[in-house]
Amino acid sequence: MDPRFNVAEKRQLNGEEEEEEEDDENNMEAWERAYADERSWESLQEDESGLLRAIDSNALHHAQYRRRLRSLSTVSTATRIQKGLIRYLYVVIDFSRAASETDFKPSRMAVAAKHVEAFIREFFDQNPLSHIALITIRDGVAQCLTDLGGSPDSHIKALMGKLGCSGDSSLQNALDLVHGYLNQIPSYGHREVLILYSALSTCDPGDIMETIQKCKNSKIRCSVVGLSAEIYICRHLCQETGGTYTVAMDEAHMKELLLEHAPPPPAIAEFAVSNLIKMGFPQRAAEGVVSICSCHKEAKVGGGYTCPRCKARVCELPTECQICGLTLVSSPHLARSYHHLFPITPFNDVSPTLPNSHKLPRACFGCQQPLIQSGNKPGLRVACPNCNQHFCLDCDIYIHESLHNCPGCESQRNSKPVTGE
Amino acid sequence: MASVPSKLYSDDVSLVVVLLDTNPFLWTATATATTFTFPEFLAHVLSFLNSIILLNQLNQVVVIATGLNSCDYIFDSSAPSKVEPFESARMPLLYSRVLRRLEDFLGSDERSERSNGAAAAAAPSSLLSGSLSLALCYIQRVFRSGALHPQPRILCLQGSPDGPEQYVAVMNAIFSAQRSMVPIDSCVIGAQHSAFLQQASYITGGVYLKPPMLDGLFQYLSTIFATDLHSRSFLQLPKPVGVDFRASCFCHKKTIDMGYICSVCLSIFCKHHKKCSTCGSVFGQANPEAAAAATDRKRKAPEV
Amino acid sequence: MPQVRIIAKNFMDMVAALPELKLDKLYENTFICEAVLRSLPPLAKKYVLQLLFIDAPVTAKSMEEWVLADGLSKHRVAIDRLIQLRVFLETTESGALPREPMPSNITVRLPTLEELDVYALEQWELMDTNAQLWYIMREYISNSEDRGEDPADLISFLLELSFHATGQAYNLNTLIDVQMHTLKDLADLGLVKLQQGRKESWFIPTKLATNLSMSLTDSSARKEGFVVVETNFRLYAYSTSKLHSEILRLFARVEYQLPNLIVGAITKESLYNAFENGITAEQIISFLQQNAHPRVAERTPSVPENVTDQIRLWETDLNRVEITPAHFYDEFLSKDVFEGASDYARENGGLLWEDSKKMRLVVNAEMHAQMREYLRRQK
Repeated sequence: MDPRFNVAEKRQLNGEEEEEEEDDENNMEAWERAYADERSWESLQEDESGLLRAIDSNALHHAQYRRRLRSLSTVSTATRIQKGLIRYLYVVIDFSRAASETDFKPSRMAVAAKHVEAFIREFFDQNPLSHIALITIRDGVAQCLTDLGGSPDSHIKALMGKLGCSGDSSLQNALDLVHGYLNQIPSYGHREVLILYSALSTCDPGDIMETIQKCKNSKIRCSVVGLSAEIYICRHLCQETGGTYTVAMDEAHMKELLLEHAPPPPAIAEFAVSNLIKMGFPQRAAEGVVSICSCHKEAKVGGGYTCPRCKARVCELPTECQICGLTLVSSPHLARSYHHLFPITPFNDVSPTLPNSHKLPRACFGCQQPLIQSGNKPGLRVACPNCNQHFCLDCDIYIHESLHNCPGCESQRNSKPVTGE
Repeated sequence: MASVPSKLYSDDVSLVVVLLDTNPFLWTATATATTFTFPEFLAHVLSFLNSIILLNQLNQVVVIATGLNSCDYIFDSSAPSKVEPFESARMPLLYSRVLRRLEDFLGSDERSERSNGAAAAAAPSSLLSGSLSLALCYIQRVFRSGALHPQPRILCLQGSPDGPEQYVAVMNAIFSAQRSMVPIDSCVIGAQHSAFLQQASYITGGVYLKPPMLDGLFQYLSTIFATDLHSRSFLQLPKPVGVDFRASCFCHKKTIDMGYICSVCLSIFCKHHKKCSTCGSVFGQANPEAAAAATDRKRKAPEV
Repeated sequence: MPQVRIIAKNFMDMVAALPELKLDKLYENTFICEAVLRSLPPLAKKYVLQLLFIDAPVTAKSMEEWVLADGLSKHRVAIDRLIQLRVFLETTESGALPREPMPSNITVRLPTLEELDVYALEQWELMDTNAQLWYIMREYISNSEDRGEDPADLISFLLELSFHATGQAYNLNTLIDVQMHTLKDLADLGLVKLQQGRKESWFIPTKLATNLSMSLTDSSARKEGFVVVETNFRLYAYSTSKLHSEILRLFARVEYQLPNLIVGAITKESLYNAFENGITAEQIISFLQQNAHPRVAERTPSVPENVTDQIRLWETDLNRVEITPAHFYDEFLSKDVFEGASDYARENGGLLWEDSKKMRLVVNAEMHAQMREYLRRQK
């Protein structure tokens, strides 16, 4: 039996729109296209003498930003994101002949690799305790590129070192391989597969339907992001195993579809019971120290971690101690999401027309930028409601979007916000 | 968790933001234990600052004091100075400016100590999170100044023990530095290693060093911490002697190497609780196996 | 194309070429020490700082251990430079003895860093200002001996000048005669501005003077650009400067000129004009790249590749035929004589063409006298 699926249903819905867009773009020169989106000429302004005036969108931009900040701060308290779910995700990338197609520029393979890299980073940001492994399909054979692990860089490095595509694609071989690995993982972990599929067919050694049933029985959730057209077997696979099937229309769409898989699927997150999990924060050993790791049973030089309970050496975090079974995580992994827990309050606008405005601070507390406009008038500024320090608009954005600390409150012992209690 | 991807630095023009630990408890403690005093320390640091400016006329130095009750800018080599005579007094301008501002700062820090009562005396740690946040704000301003700016880095000259209550704030600052690719170098001048700074340097790709002998501090500073980011890609620099990844628990602000994590918000607790004090989740079963089984059952429901 | 004789790549090569005694004498001056230090490659600077207070010889081998394998070539460059400039002295055990290149008060003095808008800057364009300045200073110094001045004195005065504060007035009567003379020349170049008081005269160093020691280093000039070049060969220059517009006119067809915007196009004709005036494609491209508007400067390449390629192609169009004055030799007496002559011409770098079957030879005209002499000797 040789079930070759060669079903290529071109997406009718998007087909026509796409062609029109293409026509449009063909009529435009490369240099025109760069400006078509920005429409920068519409916002040009002249001053009294007819000189072009530099557009000061700063204040405008800042006002928009503050509105967004306000709405966010009210919403964020309501949503409950499950950060502590432990997901085991196999990312399968189809590097068959079809991945060399150039409908994505420069090629499907290059675009897929680029976005898988972004996906891996985002995934670990959202699921600090989860694991990923990479599998590639080439010449009809599925190959395990990296084992399950929690370090984004080792995956990315392995992926970038192994680019190149050839031969047919085989969905069944990939699923069999993944099934073999995922069957071994602890039962509290969520088993998932994400497949980036370029080919329009699958060339399998046996009955793929049996493999799909096997995955279903092992509770492996399979999702597919297609790069060419929708094909029946992928739809069937996803329906059976409870995953999602989407097809990317262009590069931006593909990125979006991939990143949708970074947060835990709502079906898992919603019903997960909140739990206290006992964990250890191992210390990283000095570089150049030789020791035997408990995970590979090999002597390794440097860079290991020591389990705080049984002092066994492990190579990578997060993992589970082979000796005492303690879940080992790197504490910075957890700390990455703490700014969600303790958001800093939005700063208040300070009206420059206050009666004794000349007494206001003359420089931004954060970056020392002068807050005085020409003519010795106080410029635009905001103030922290807790420590009453004044900040410039740029620092305001930086503090709320990246730093997540108020430098004023942190530089003052008494006004330190009480955390956690 | 790996350090920042290496960025290509085209030249050696540097901005060094130095965070100076001025904690009086530290300096009284070291003064009794060894012969290294605060004035000696300052002499080493000032020579170092001078050397940085000497190396390239576009180099820039900013000094921020990390106090017990406050943090403040002490010196900024790019700030416009008043007319200075070319052949000034024997004391160079940098020295007198730093010393004068430092004296003001120590005075005001002490005053806020008094108004604070004994709150600070109980925790002899200085406000590292504050000075790190200030340094990062300053560096963002340099980034905004245009495409051509000096390559910034932060140097923490820290001696006080870590303040576990600053854990979240320090980690936030570290991640922000990592995102902006600003290395945090640490030179620990206190008695014990600093877990905060070990993590900071490890995560941001900076250098962490605890000089065994403080008498030769200038030699350490000029050999290791004066190295611009451009040259770092060719040089052997001290490798981390282990990184202390311990965290602070949210309930008692203790530094722990093992603890309980809330599966919803990842808060860390040193003891088992019934309810998460951060996100309010009520913990059902302590047994993770049962919890996973429950979700697996639910997962079978068909999705739309 | 104007040919410029390249003597030394930069100011410090010239300093390094000074005789040992003169160089050692120069190091008595703190300004020189500071300028030399700043001119060094980053790695070398670091080594100097690191070894400043070490008074025993350090072996070359132990210094090599400071670098990673990738950095070894940079390490060699740095060490060679330090030895060239006699900052490091080699000792017999093939170790390098660090000498203290600067008196201790060097770490005490601080240069001023303020920058000032300078009237002189406008006189320098197309090439990087500092590079042009260097062109002229180099000639000025190498001619100094003909004028009866000591190049070492001149160098030390120039370097000292570069550490003066921009915009400050200095009294002329502190200078010696030679320096006064030099200063007048420098004023013509815009390095200093002379001001006549009622009784006394003053000079004010400009940014160019204070940048002098920077032009010695490899740091790129740090200024904001104004030109946007598009893939369709159109060019937009956001500038109010008359000078900018004139420079653009040298190689582009200017179409509109608004108060603060110049719109033009790079065409074959406009470029041929430039080439005829002795401007090279590389100069045009580097001008466009150095002055790229911040919006496009972040992109790589800042000037579209098709434009730069085309500029280069148009230039090579002009260079398809190269004319070299030459002499044609034939009717050699024997194969041996012919081969001897062609080998002789080849060894001396004058052979342009040979046909060994017909025994014919074309040799650069400059070599004609030598060839004639050689052939006469063969007889």
